[in-house]
Amino acid sequence: MSKSEGNSKNKCAIISSKLDTNEVIIDFLKKAMDKGIFDAVLMPLKVPAGDSFAYVLIKDKTLLKDGVPLSPIMSVQGAKAVSSVTRLGKAKMKIAAVMRPCEIRGTNELSKLGQTNLENITLISMDCPGVLPMSDFLIDPEKNIRIFNEAMQKGDDTIMRPVCQICDKSSMVAGDLHIGIRGAKKDTFFMISNSQKGNDVLDKLGIDLKGDINSWQAKVKNIADEKHKKREKHLKELKSKTGGLDNLADTFSQCINCHNCMRVCPVCYCRLCYFDSDKVKHPSEDYLKMAERKGSIRFLPDTILFQMGRMLHMSLSCVSCGACEDACPMSIPVAQIFSMIADETQGLFDYVSGRNIEEPIPLITYKEDELHDVEDAND
Amino acid sequence: MEMKIGVYICECGPNIADKVDIAKVINAVSSIDGVVVAERYKLLCSAEGKRFLKEEIKKHALTHLVVAACSPKQHEQTFMEVCEKAGINPYLFQLANIREQCAWITEDKDEATEKAIRLTRAAIKRVCHHSPLEKKELECNTDVLVIGGGIAGIETSLQLASPDRKIYLVEKSSSLGGLLTNFDKTFPSMQSGSKSIQEKIQTVNNNANIEVFTNSEVEEILGFFGNFEVKVKKRDEEQSTAEFNVGAVVLATGSTLFDPMQTPQYGYGDLDNIITSLEFENMNSSGKITLKNGKTPNSVAIIHCVGRDKTGYCSEICCMYSLKFVRYLKDKISNVKVSNFYSDLCIPGKTYQKFYDQTKGKHVDFIRSTDIKITKNGDKLNIEYKDENGSKNNLVVDMAILTPAMEPTSDTSRLTEVAGVSLGDGGFFAEEHQKLSPVSTTTEGVYIAGCAQGPKNISDTLDQANAVTGKILSSLIPGRKIEPEVKISQISESFCIGCKTCINVCSYGAITFDEARKISVVNEAICRGCGNCVAACPSGAATLKHFTFNQIYKELMEAVQ
Repeated sequence: MSKSEGNSKNKCAIISSKLDTNEVIIDFLKKAMDKGIFDAVLMPLKVPAGDSFAYVLIKDKTLLKDGVPLSPIMSVQGAKAVSSVTRLGKAKMKIAAVMRPCEIRGTNELSKLGQTNLENITLISMDCPGVLPMSDFLIDPEKNIRIFNEAMQKGDDTIMRPVCQICDKSSMVAGDLHIGIRGAKKDTFFMISNSQKGNDVLDKLGIDLKGDINSWQAKVKNIADEKHKKREKHLKELKSKTGGLDNLADTFSQCINCHNCMRVCPVCYCRLCYFDSDKVKHPSEDYLKMAERKGSIRFLPDTILFQMGRMLHMSLSCVSCGACEDACPMSIPVAQIFSMIADETQGLFDYVSGRNIEEPIPLITYKEDELHDVEDAND
Repeated sequence: MEMKIGVYICECGPNIADKVDIAKVINAVSSIDGVVVAERYKLLCSAEGKRFLKEEIKKHALTHLVVAACSPKQHEQTFMEVCEKAGINPYLFQLANIREQCAWITEDKDEATEKAIRLTRAAIKRVCHHSPLEKKELECNTDVLVIGGGIAGIETSLQLASPDRKIYLVEKSSSLGGLLTNFDKTFPSMQSGSKSIQEKIQTVNNNANIEVFTNSEVEEILGFFGNFEVKVKKRDEEQSTAEFNVGAVVLATGSTLFDPMQTPQYGYGDLDNIITSLEFENMNSSGKITLKNGKTPNSVAIIHCVGRDKTGYCSEICCMYSLKFVRYLKDKISNVKVSNFYSDLCIPGKTYQKFYDQTKGKHVDFIRSTDIKITKNGDKLNIEYKDENGSKNNLVVDMAILTPAMEPTSDTSRLTEVAGVSLGDGGFFAEEHQKLSPVSTTTEGVYIAGCAQGPKNISDTLDQANAVTGKILSSLIPGRKIEPEVKISQISESFCIGCKTCINVCSYGAITFDEARKISVVNEAICRGCGNCVAACPSGAATLKHFTFNQIYKELMEAVQ
């Protein structure tokens, strides 16, 4: 099973250009802005200090040239940026949001959860080489930008984040348009449309969707299959290391309850996290009782409860973007663990988070014919 | 105000006293903060017991009451009423179940006592965090929605309609009457069918207290017994919607015939002169029974149980109307030979056997058979079958009448969603209890009459219409007050993030979305306090009154400490 390659119904155009991927995307955006197809672009930009990247809503098209669609790090998950712009209703102008596939999938999940309105948003993705671990990057940003670009050229993912190394959805087309590099001949790019909105944009730009998508699909499948194998092996090892309450407790024993993982998670959309609320704060005598019963009690409390609670809440929508792991000051492999669990919970419902914006979230859909394993277990 | 909790342990005769060391329980709970009295009593649900509790509440000026006794399902209401009479809010009460959950489930008195202590302690902790809740009263709406304008719906409407009870009769087709309009006569009286229903339709149309909607479908039913909000979509030129409130709903959507095209062995649709029972009724009503070529048939086969294997149930009425068909045939073609191919004859009751005895006779055969196959034999039909001994046989006839199984109408499953009831055997509406509550459903105030509940004859259908009438007349009384659920959900405006998950899981349609504020809002008149939204809300914005996080947490913590 590989749901990672592009939809076979996708239409594509082949664009010839001597530019690199970042430049091709920016060139495309510029032309679209010139034609008034987009009024603004939301994409990563190098910060003025030059040592990080941030999502910026660009209204002035002369600033487009500073954009870095394939930034070496994921400082903010793009879904959160799109949600910030449209949480309170549709955008009043046409915006192109340029993001990695997992960020688009996160955006789709947020759309299903009423946290963003995509009516005037065109989601544009590209084949994703992965991103660097934030902690590695920060040691020497300038050098690491160079290293990242070289690795991207070579298709080498060994310096990327662990969760990127095992990502089998790095070319998943879940938005409106997708720029494909994989399987392309020298100086050509695939421009893939995945929706009517995507078709309309290309139509207005006079780009005909008559290209042959086969070589992209073949290459993407090849990479996805390879990554999938790697993923299965890696997650199996991870499961043996973290499975069971004792192992899980050991894994999270370094947790400092900063809740950063929750704050950066695109699908942790609650206004106030339950675990930050007063509902989990108890009078001292309760803690004393617990200490009495168990001999001692760790503070801050509820570490595992927080992780499991969060997992329970969001694993069906987890897009394995890795933001949580980047944000963890204690280097706990949170993203890998959550990604592992997400595979299993989503698999139960044959659901892939964010794959398709029309696909309803399993929690709110009732099917008579599902979860028989659970029923049988109670027989 | 200082909290004064009274704890009372019921002996329940020997039920609890024999298995739980009540003295130990009293000892264990007496010193808990807030408990001012802990006592035992023989039988708290008795009249004396209730009086005792009431006096105790007054004597000790109790603010909260805990009873350790039986299941809340049995006596929670009883003790809440005692609280009310004694002047404390009934929600400042908690019942610990130390009978079903302690005394009755173990032979070990120590274990039962230990658990009884934990449950009682937990109840005391919980009650400390209870809030007084105020009951509301709502005027009961006595109007009734009847869905389906066949004989069941018509009869129910006619009996219920009165100046203080308006009936909304909704029929999806263009006219009232249902299947019965097709029947020239009805068994076993052989009195007029279509004529009698036409008279009833006339009476309905003349009744000012019945509003008839034809070409209409019920789109939405929200609310509860005594207070349903209904939306009806009219399929007239402008596609309008009617909205009204009723107190009860009657599902009388009838049944339809199994499609014999699904059983190709009978040749229906392929061969001439093979017709369904309904087509035969119409042919008979037209005055002339003929073959396709206009000639009169000399021999007719009636094939019983068509589709029974597929539906898996006996349709109850086919044997009897097949006998009626024999009468139709004999009345119109005196020398016709009729052969009934049946698998089991279903002719119960005090009149049917007589009808059968009087129908069988010369040139009327009853052949018990299986594996029927109909093929062409020149102008005629060849009925191949296996007889009772398993031997292959055949019979050549001019015409074959199929009696297809009765099936639920096509919108039955949609209506289960709309009316909040379940589907039962055969895909018909499920009754609350097959024997004890055959016309009620699991949703209070929603009833079933006639074939919508399963295949049945006209008199059984009328019996059900009468039963539904009785149910409604005895409960939806003008002037009666209904109490909407008090333990309802509430959604915090400051925590709600507007993901609408709650709206999707609400079984009662009680939550709407406020587009301006981007938050979910609970309709208090419709919410039944099931707690689905509370469980589904990721933000903890939805909470259930009387089942707040804090209440449950305190109770659990105390139980497991």
